[in-house]
Amino acid sequence: MSERRPRIVIRDLAKTFREGGREVAAVQDVSVTIREQEFVAIVGPSGCGKSTILNMIGGLVAPSAGTVEIDGVRVAGRVPGNVGYVFQKDTVFAWRTVARNIAIGLEYRGVARTEQARRVRDAIALAGLEGFEEAFPATLSGGMRQRVALMRTLVVEPEILLMDEPFGALDTHTKLDLHAELLALWEARHQTVVFVTHDLSEAITLADRIVVMTRRPGRVKLVHDVALPRPRDVIKLRETDDYAHEYGRIWHVLGEEFAGRA
Amino acid sequence: MTRADHRRVLLWRLAILAALLVAWEWLTGIKAISRTPGLYWIDPFFISRPSAILARFAYLASGQVRLTIWQMALSTVQSTLWGFLVGVSTGFAAGLVLGRHERLARVFEPYIVAFNSLPRIALVPLITMIFGFGVLAKIVLAWTIVFFIVFFNTFQGARSVDADLIHSARFLGASDRQVMRTVIVPSALAWTFASLTPSISFALIGVVVGEFLGGESGGGLGYLIIQSLGTLNAADMMVALISLGVIGIVMALAIKQLEMRLLRWRPEYRGRA
Repeated sequence: MSERRPRIVIRDLAKTFREGGREVAAVQDVSVTIREQEFVAIVGPSGCGKSTILNMIGGLVAPSAGTVEIDGVRVAGRVPGNVGYVFQKDTVFAWRTVARNIAIGLEYRGVARTEQARRVRDAIALAGLEGFEEAFPATLSGGMRQRVALMRTLVVEPEILLMDEPFGALDTHTKLDLHAELLALWEARHQTVVFVTHDLSEAITLADRIVVMTRRPGRVKLVHDVALPRPRDVIKLRETDDYAHEYGRIWHVLGEEFAGRA
Repeated sequence: MTRADHRRVLLWRLAILAALLVAWEWLTGIKAISRTPGLYWIDPFFISRPSAILARFAYLASGQVRLTIWQMALSTVQSTLWGFLVGVSTGFAAGLVLGRHERLARVFEPYIVAFNSLPRIALVPLITMIFGFGVLAKIVLAWTIVFFIVFFNTFQGARSVDADLIHSARFLGASDRQVMRTVIVPSALAWTFASLTPSISFALIGVVVGEFLGGESGGGLGYLIIQSLGTLNAADMMVALISLGVIGIVMALAIKQLEMRLLRWRPEYRGRA
């Protein structure tokens, strides 16, 4: 793992927001290096600034101090080119059909119509959305809409994937389905993934490495390598002792933060 | 609603219309108390009678008059549509631009508020002075009303576009222009459409008011109304009013149809387009 080249280098990252005339530190002294093809999850109690870190990696929020570099280039207030971002909020375009939503990134890039159609067809098959090509998002369930958002992001083949609690609003069953799908898609392409969540089991199921954050102001509390073999079966995994062991270790550390003994 | 329900509602509506027409014809026909001429239960001098209106309509529709009712209606419809089109397109463009440029919006705000709080009717003489007694003055008047209705709605719509939608478009590789075309315009359009039905009604108001002052060269049903006032002819006035009512309903229905087609992605329009 360690011989892989670093793709995202975060150094001494900090962010303070102004809140009612007061400076509030959201993130402090965060330094993490994320390597090529690595799946990293950031977990922490809500308000610990984990989404803010993701937004700084994606260039949506400017850091107050420190730097983020992607492939050696400093991210500065601009959306980096080969990065895909999946939001927690439903960002599927309500006025476009499923097929036209998935095609939009290709449309932006000026990909030829026939090529667009082919890739959209593949993506729809991959996400099990056959028969819903011409449906408008308002007619779909939350899980299906998030599938569309995921495929829309993946169809342009980003090398780096930033995911901000993408399954946070879904029920447990749908969530597990999407975990399995995401892992299968990731096994095929091995994108570099940064996945923000407050759900520890989700983080263990998906990630190679878990960054545990403290309560606000968020600092790195622990970086933990998940010692679970791949490919993983999202259902069976949870019955194994290894999973229980990983869960117990991190839960103990995370529990300190939830309990407020930081 | 079932088909039978639909039919029953329609039947009731027709029955009420028939009852109203019969009552109108009858009450304006019988003499009250004394046999003194001119004393009616309800004086047809003021509200005319259906039979008289029909007769006047037939006359106005025939070739015996210099300006037929069809020509006048066409003039009103044309001016309304022009005022509507110009008002909607300029209002939409201005709403988009100011909705996306915070500073520009702040600079223009007092001017827009000031002009919009001016009663538009007060502008009629000035507009007539500038654009003459023709079709143009009516269109300009309709435009000054429609512009602001559409502008304010689009402005609000363009401002309230979800920032995450724009971000996600950017991550998918959209340029500024593509963000405008694929995210901001469609989001704002939903707001703009909400303003179209009132806009067409207000365009019609603007045109008719313009016609009150516009004289014969401007033509239109508003001219017929003012002319009927001059000759104290209630029947002609009723012909003009009923025509305006029909025109207003047809245009509002057409807009509704267009709205349902273009906004078919919204759940509330689903299955109705």
